Amino acid sequence: MKRIGFIIMLTGISLLAGCSQITVLDPKSDTGKDQAYLIWLSLAIMFLVLIVVFILFTWFVIKYRYTEKRKYEIPVDVIGDKRLEFTYTIIPIILLIILAIPTARITFEQSPGTEAFQDAEGVEVNVTGKQFQWDFEYENGEEDTNKLVLPEGEPAIFHLKSEDVVHSFWIPELAGKVDLYPHETLTYRIENPEKGEYEGKCAEFCGAQHANMTFDVEVVSEDEYEDYLDDL
Amino acid sequence: MEMFENLADAPSDVIAAWIFTAIAGILVIIWVLKKRKLPVIWEYMRTTNHRKIGTMYILFGFIFFLRAGIDSLFIRMQLISPNNDFWVFQADKYNEVFTTHGTMMIFFAAMPMLLGLMNVAMPLQIGARDLAFPYLNAVGFWLFLSGAIVFNIAFFLNSAPAIGWTGYAPLSNSLFTPDANTDFYVFGVQISGLGTIFTALNLMVTVIRHRAPGMSFMRMPLFSWATLVTSFMILLAFTVLAIGLYLLMFDRLFDTKFFQGPDGDPVFWQHLFWIFGHPEVYILAIPAFGIFSDVISTFASKRIFGYASMVISIILIAFLSFTVWAHHMLVVGLGPMLNTFFAFTTMTIAVPTGIKIFNWLFTLRGGLIRFTTPMLFALGFIPSFVMGGVTGVMLSVSAADFQFHDSHFLVAHFHYVILASTILGIFSAIYYYYPKITGLKLNETLGKWHFWLFLIGFHVTFFPMHITGLNGMPRRTFTYDAGEGFTTTNFISTIGAFLMGISILFMFWNLVKTHWENKKVGPDPWDGRTLEWTVDSPSPENTFEPMPVVDDLNPLAKAKNENRKMETTNEHRSSPIARDSIIPFLISMTLGVFGICMTYEWYIAAFVVGAVVFAFFILRALTDEKNDYYGKDEGGAS
Repeated sequence: MKRIGFIIMLTGISLLAGCSQITVLDPKSDTGKDQAYLIWLSLAIMFLVLIVVFILFTWFVIKYRYTEKRKYEIPVDVIGDKRLEFTYTIIPIILLIILAIPTARITFEQSPGTEAFQDAEGVEVNVTGKQFQWDFEYENGEEDTNKLVLPEGEPAIFHLKSEDVVHSFWIPELAGKVDLYPHETLTYRIENPEKGEYEGKCAEFCGAQHANMTFDVEVVSEDEYEDYLDDL
Repeated sequence: MEMFENLADAPSDVIAAWIFTAIAGILVIIWVLKKRKLPVIWEYMRTTNHRKIGTMYILFGFIFFLRAGIDSLFIRMQLISPNNDFWVFQADKYNEVFTTHGTMMIFFAAMPMLLGLMNVAMPLQIGARDLAFPYLNAVGFWLFLSGAIVFNIAFFLNSAPAIGWTGYAPLSNSLFTPDANTDFYVFGVQISGLGTIFTALNLMVTVIRHRAPGMSFMRMPLFSWATLVTSFMILLAFTVLAIGLYLLMFDRLFDTKFFQGPDGDPVFWQHLFWIFGHPEVYILAIPAFGIFSDVISTFASKRIFGYASMVISIILIAFLSFTVWAHHMLVVGLGPMLNTFFAFTTMTIAVPTGIKIFNWLFTLRGGLIRFTTPMLFALGFIPSFVMGGVTGVMLSVSAADFQFHDSHFLVAHFHYVILASTILGIFSAIYYYYPKITGLKLNETLGKWHFWLFLIGFHVTFFPMHITGLNGMPRRTFTYDAGEGFTTTNFISTIGAFLMGISILFMFWNLVKTHWENKKVGPDPWDGRTLEWTVDSPSPENTFEPMPVVDDLNPLAKAKNENRKMETTNEHRSSPIARDSIIPFLISMTLGVFGICMTYEWYIAAFVVGAVVFAFFILRALTDEKNDYYGKDEGGAS
């Protein structure tokens, strides 16, 4: 038991100490921040459950263990306890409802799809994935490969399509991912990206060089963005 | 011949495997001949007895578990440091290894070991003398082995599939993976899946038809309940998988366009795969829940707390598991409505699972807890599985899943749930039922070493993986850069994996030592509470003679507490008829050969071999062992 406690303590400490540096929990866009909020909320609620289980577990295992003194005891025959069972049915349901409401709200705001974000304003980028590279086509029709530049503060709207197999477009520091399919175009939005340099990657296994299907992301000021587009 | 073409430029790991297998094979043959074990092997090849078939399921499942485990060590070695080049495991070699690891662990390790345990223990728990259809049981087992052999041959021919165990189209279509590799996946899984469906039918009928007098459904041990519920799930889920693989086979061999081209849709494959795949997770977990329920009840010396709600919750979990598949597809662009719907259905599964966890905890309360090896595995399961459960709820939060999806966070999650439930459950059950399988009890001290090393290694491997994932490492990538923040956590994970590897060595040592000492134990080495502990160890071919009468959920414990023997009767349903036959073995292996012919598109050979399989069907249809036993007129009366 001591060993389990020690491991939990150690990992708990390292988790808390490391959280401020964990990429996904410290995102650089409003979309990513909403996702991080959900992660924190669910983690907090689940931590509650975890603590209750761990305490009951440790308590029961230590208190009711076999000892020489209890050698001849025959435990009382308990069938169950309706009230207790009802309690641990209802409380999880309440916890899940608390979690479900913001989940629905943010999912409705953010979900990618073929008809998503049709009336949304923002910088439009056509993303094409193929084994094993990324092509980005900007509003002025110019293209760049494995490099995505976005202006800060403006919503970025991506129209994503694959030329071959399924890929997945992911910039962990900015926001969550969306798949690319050969048969339809999906639209996804990242709101209010902050200035900085990030790493984008393919998150759906797509073949031999899946691991190296990465791209550079730069979020720059409006002026720098215009300059970049002109230079293409 | 095209079959051996890839061998010309085989990498050193394939050559090493050939050499290792040749040496090991020769040693095994020498041992078999020296110890005169050939008759035993011949007996097992023809047997239809549930314990013997169960033993073979567990044995071969364990061998494949070792192979898939070694694959995982290769994966961890490649990921130990940034920009690493370990042996040959980069790019497609790495992709082959994780594909093999996943496919083998699910289909050829976890499934057969669970089916084996059901085969061994369930009939003993409910007072059945054998499975309802002993012949079909043998067919089911040999089909599993045949499929597993087909899948394993791929690696030896340097043609292992590299599409992930999920086999997503269109990567799995002939346009992108035209070689035989992917066909080995299709046929290997298809053939063994067929065997799994047969066994599920068999188990289901056995539970419904062959319970001892007095054993109502609400007096049935929870492992038998789990077997019944799991069988229904297998029947539904594996059928969907079979259809998916069937369509994929047509896409690959005959250029149909189900999952590719302008009229096909790769998302169809994902729907089919996950309508199978999500229930599959619970097909793996529910039997383990059953094992833990019985083990915890035995070693807390108490009946299970809230038995009725335990039964209701496994049925609920089974039902709900068919309503959540698209939570694997939240980034596919199904739209906000479906994303939210599947988030909610997924969350609901937490409720019955939570009920089970608390029922186990309250079973412990007031008990007399003995820390035997099976009990340690069961106790290790509770906190570990809850950790996997809570990340499961986190993953169900659909917008947050946009971040989690296909990252190492997900890898951590599913290893937490599957290892904590299925693998700890299998280990627990192997220690628990070893006396029923062999008549020997495994060494407790070595068992505890095995447990602690495995549990610590498991947490050391997979806990840091959550952080690796949250730092942005996608799954199925063979390399990463030093600056990405994955270095430390990956290094720790690799250490943990080797701890788990070492723990398996302790298990080995334990097996060798136990058989070396060869100390037989009686029918009831654990102070058991249910019917299986009234039967001799190992369980004989003719069990329950005379048939016990069941008057309680824990009939043996009740009889012991009242200081009496269990009542018996001669009035009971007639038993299944065993009849040794080599046909199940032949039929299955021929079907395996058929699979290989199809893989290499040798259609004429496939036609001939297929005709032989069909001839075996006819041969079987014309024989009925019941006729000999009951006389012609009453044939089929059992």
